Amino acid sequence: MINPDSEDPKFVEIPEPTGWPIIAAFGLVLLFAGLVTSFFITFLGVLVCLAGFAGWFLDVFPHPKHYAVPLEEAPEPHTTARSIKYLKIGHLGHRMRLPVEVPPLMAGVKGGIVGAVAMAILACAWGFFKYGSIWYPVNLLSAAAVPSLAEASQAALSQFNLLGFIVAVISHGSVSIMIGLLYIVLLPMLPAKFEWFWGGIMTPLIWSGFLFATIRFINPALAVHVDWPWFIVCQVAFGMVCGFVVFKEEKVETMQSLTLAAKLGIEAPEENS
Amino acid sequence: MNSATTENPADWKLPSARKFGILTLILAESALFTIFVVAYLFYMGKSLNGPYPSEVLEFPLLGTLALFSSSGTIFMAERCLLAGNKPGFSLWWGITTALGIYFLYFTGAEWHHLIFEKNLLISTNTFGTTFYSLVGLHAFHVIVGVLLLLGILISSLRGRLHSDHTEHVEAISYYWHFVDCIWIVVLTVVYFLSVRVQP
Amino acid sequence: MAQEIIIEENYRMPAPVHVGDEKGSLTRVIQQLVFTVDHKKLGLMYIAAGLLFFVIAGLLAGLIRMQLAFPNNHFLPPDVYNQSFTMHGTTMIFLVGMPMAFGFANYLVPLMIGARDMAFPRLNAFGFWVFFFSGLLLYFSYVGAPGLYAAGSAPDVGWFAYSPLTTKAFSRGHSTDYWTLSLLLGGIGSVATALNILVTVFCMRCPGMTLGRLPIFVWCMVVLSFLVILALPCLSACQIMISLDRYLGAKFFDTQAGGDAVLWQHFFWIFGHPEVYILIMPAFAITSEVIPVFSRKPIFGYPVMVAAVVAIAFISLGVWAHHMFCVGMVSLANAFFVTSTLLVSIPTGIKIFNWLATMYGGKLRFELPLIFCIAFLFQFLIAGLTGVMLAVAPFDWQLSDSYFVVAHFHYILIGGLLFTIFAGIYYWYPKAFGKLPNHKLGLWHFWLFAIGFHITFLPQHFLGFLGMPRRIYTYQSDRGWDEMNLLSTIGVAIQSAGILFFVYNLIYSYFWGKKSGDDPWDAWTLEWATTSPPPEYNFAKLPLVKSRRPLWDAKHPEDPDWKHE
Repeated sequence: MINPDSEDPKFVEIPEPTGWPIIAAFGLVLLFAGLVTSFFITFLGVLVCLAGFAGWFLDVFPHPKHYAVPLEEAPEPHTTARSIKYLKIGHLGHRMRLPVEVPPLMAGVKGGIVGAVAMAILACAWGFFKYGSIWYPVNLLSAAAVPSLAEASQAALSQFNLLGFIVAVISHGSVSIMIGLLYIVLLPMLPAKFEWFWGGIMTPLIWSGFLFATIRFINPALAVHVDWPWFIVCQVAFGMVCGFVVFKEEKVETMQSLTLAAKLGIEAPEENS
Repeated sequence: MNSATTENPADWKLPSARKFGILTLILAESALFTIFVVAYLFYMGKSLNGPYPSEVLEFPLLGTLALFSSSGTIFMAERCLLAGNKPGFSLWWGITTALGIYFLYFTGAEWHHLIFEKNLLISTNTFGTTFYSLVGLHAFHVIVGVLLLLGILISSLRGRLHSDHTEHVEAISYYWHFVDCIWIVVLTVVYFLSVRVQP
Repeated sequence: MAQEIIIEENYRMPAPVHVGDEKGSLTRVIQQLVFTVDHKKLGLMYIAAGLLFFVIAGLLAGLIRMQLAFPNNHFLPPDVYNQSFTMHGTTMIFLVGMPMAFGFANYLVPLMIGARDMAFPRLNAFGFWVFFFSGLLLYFSYVGAPGLYAAGSAPDVGWFAYSPLTTKAFSRGHSTDYWTLSLLLGGIGSVATALNILVTVFCMRCPGMTLGRLPIFVWCMVVLSFLVILALPCLSACQIMISLDRYLGAKFFDTQAGGDAVLWQHFFWIFGHPEVYILIMPAFAITSEVIPVFSRKPIFGYPVMVAAVVAIAFISLGVWAHHMFCVGMVSLANAFFVTSTLLVSIPTGIKIFNWLATMYGGKLRFELPLIFCIAFLFQFLIAGLTGVMLAVAPFDWQLSDSYFVVAHFHYILIGGLLFTIFAGIYYWYPKAFGKLPNHKLGLWHFWLFAIGFHITFLPQHFLGFLGMPRRIYTYQSDRGWDEMNLLSTIGVAIQSAGILFFVYNLIYSYFWGKKSGDDPWDAWTLEWATTSPPPEYNFAKLPLVKSRRPLWDAKHPEDPDWKHE
C-alpha cells in the first residue's frame, strides 16, 4: 500500500463509504440508553449493534471494499525566492559564543583548591595582624552554620574551635571547588582579551557585590565583623590564582559541534576532516 | 540518522497496522484492568462481613488449565496456517475455541456455586464487589475473544480464510494471549493472595 | 445531481471530490457526511460538533455568570445552577476539548505524514459517531432523566462526581446515570480514535518520514493518543464501578459498607490529570506549527521540543493527587505529589523558551494565527505560574476549591487551549475550504475575545484570595466580592461578542472570502503540498521526505533542508 511503485498511476483505491459504523455506534448508544430508560431499548440496541458490526465485518472481510478514484494533476510547489544563511559555530558576528574548547574538569577542581588555599592564607594573615589570631576569620566563616559562634564574643572568636574549623574547611572547600568548576565553563565564554581581568577581578567583584547585599541574611556574624576592603582583596586573590591554574591547563574539545545522537552516545562522533 | 536505507522508497518498511493496533488496544485494556486489580488489592481483607475469600474460594484448577493450554493450541494453529496446513489450522483453532468455551462454563459454574450455595453477591460486601467485577471483566474479555475465535473458525471451515489473513489471525492470537496473561494476574491476586489474608 | 434520493443503489462518491468543497443539495451533503469514512470529512465533523457543543456549554457558562453577577441573586433556581456548572464542565472537557483535538488530528495527521487516509477508516467513523451520540445522550438528560425534580434533570454532581454524592441515597433518579453512561460511551469512542491515530502515525508514514522528521504537531498528537490510551480506560473503570454501585448495589464507594469514598478521588484523578494534558496537547501542537511558519524560521530545538512533550506526558501520569491535597494524605504523599507537579514546569518552561527562540530574530508576519499564538504564550505563562503556586501543598490548602483555582484552569483551557484552537482554525481554514479567513473580522474577534477573557477571569484570581469558594449558588453582599463578580460577568458578554464575530467570519469567508490558492501561508509541512481543499486521496503520488520541512525542500531545490540537518 505504501510502496509508490506498485500503484496504478491513473487511479487510487480508497475505502468505500459505508453506513455500518454509524449503525453500530447508534446501536451501542441505544444499548446504554436503555439502562436509563427501558430495557426494551437495550434489547433493541443489542440487535442494532450486532447488525452494525456484522455489516461492518462483511465490509472488510475477506477483503476491504475499495473503489478507484481517477487522479488529478498534482499541483506544482510554487518556489519562493528567498536566500538564507545558516549560522555556523565560530562564525564572526555570531550572537552566541559557544565555547568549542574548555579546560578539563580536573583543572577546575585543582584551581578551586589552590585558590582556596591562597584565599585562606590571606584571610588568616589578616586575622593574625589585626586580632592576633589566625582562627578569627575561620570562626567567622563557620558562624553561618554554628549557632554558638554566631553569638560569641571577640575573644571567643579568636580561640581555636574544632567544630568551627571543620565547618569552615568543608564550606570554604566545597564552594571554592564549585567556583573552580564554574570557571572552566565561564572563562572561555568571556571576551577573549584580558581574560585575567574578567576572571580574576571582575567576577570576584561581582560576587563580592552580591555577597555585600545578602551577607546579612546568610551569615549575620560575618556581616558585623567583616572588613570589606580586605574581604575583596581575598576574593580577588582567589579569582587570580584559580583563573591562572585553570588557564594553564591544556584545553579539551566540548561536544558543541557534535550531533545530538553523538552527544547522547548513540552514535560515534564523526571525525572532523 | 540519515542512513541510506531510509532514502530509498523500496526499502521503506513500517510495522503492520493490525498488529500495532491490537497491541495498542492491549495497552488500553491493561490500564482498565490495572484499576480493577488495584481496587481488589485495596479492599483485600477489608470486608466488614463475610463470606471471606478464604472461606469460599477454591483454586480453579480445571479452568486455569483450559485457559493456559489454549495459549499453546492457538500457537499450534498459527504454525499450521503459516505452513499452509488448513485442516490442521481448523483443528487446533477449534480446540482453542472449545477450551475458551470450557473456561467460560467453568467460571459460570463457579459463580453459580458462589451465588446459590455460599450466598456471595456483588452487593454482599467489598469482597463480592471487587471479586465479581474483576473476574467478570476478565470473563467479558474471554467472551469477546471466543466470539472472535468463532468468527475465524467459521470462515476457516467455510474455506474463506486465505493466506493473506495471517495478520488477522495473528492479531486475534495476540489478544487471546493477553486474556491469558490477565488471568495469571487475576489468579495471583484473587486465588493466591486474597485467600491467605485473614479477615 | 438533482435527484433527491437518500440512498442510491450502487452508491459511488462523485470523484474526484475536494473535501470541504461539496456541491449539491442539503440532503446530498448529509448523505455524504453520514456515510463517509474519509478522515478529512470526519475531522471537520469533529470540529463542527465540538463548536456546536462549545456554543451550548458557553451559554451554560453565561447562565452561571448571570446568576453570580449580583449578591443574593435568584436568576436561576439552585438545582438548575448545579446542573449548569456540571454540564458546563463535562461538556467543555469531553464534548469540546477532546473532539477538537481529535478533529485536528484526524484532518491533519494523515496529510502531514503523507498518507491517503487513517489506518482504520471505518473505525474512525465509528469513533466519531459514538462521541456524537454520547453527547446527545448526555443532553437528553434534560428531558429524559426523572430526577428529584420530576421533569428532566441533568446531572448535578460536578464534572468529577465525587463520591458519596453519586450514591443512590444522595443522587436520586437517573441524572447521574446519564452522566456515567455517556462518559463511558465517549471513552469507547475516544480510545478507538486514539488507537487509530497511533496506528496511522506508526504504520502509514510516507517514505522517508522517519520519526525524527515528523512535524511537532504529529508528535504532540502521538503523545496525546498515548495519554488517551492510558488514561481514558481508567475513567471507564470508574464509570463501570459507579454504575455497578448504582445498579447492582456494589460497595465500591459505599462508605457504610466498608467502601472508600477517597478511592474514587484517586481513581478519578488518575484519569483526570492526564486528561488535563490531553486537553493542552493540541495547544502545543498548533503553536509549534504556527509560530515557525509565521516567524519564517524552523522550530528552535526540535529534538528538545519532542523530548519535552514526551516528558510532560510521562510526568503527568504521576501527579494526580495534587488535586487532593485537602483530603488529608500522609505528608510523604503530599511531598511526592508536590515535587512531581513542580517537575512538570521544567519541560513546559523549555517549550515556552523554544517558542520564543523560534520567534527571536525571525521575520514575524502578524496574521491571525500568529496573533492568537502570541496571546497563548502570555496567557499560558500566567496559567503556568498560578499552577506552580497551586502545586505547593500549603498554598493549595488555603486556596483549593476557591475561585483562584477556577481562574487558574480557565487561563489554561481558554487562554491556552481555546486561543490556539482559534489559531489552528484560522491557519488551516484555507486548507479545508480554499478561502482565506477575513483578517478584519478576525481582529475584531481577537481583541473582543482577549479583552473579555481577561476581564472575566483575572478578577477571579482575586476573588479566590478574598475567599470566594467554587460552586456556590449565591453570596452575601458584605464580602467584598460584588464588584469583581459583576466585572467577571461583563467580561462574558464581551467574549460572546467576540465569538459572534468568529462564527460570522467562518460563514462569511466560506461564501465570500478571498480565494486562498493551495499554499497561502508559504508553509513547509506536507499538508500544503496538495491542493486546497485536498482531493479525497490526499496525494496523487506519495511524497518522498528527506527533511523535517519537506515542502521547503520542494520549493527551494537549490538550498534544501536535508543538507543541513
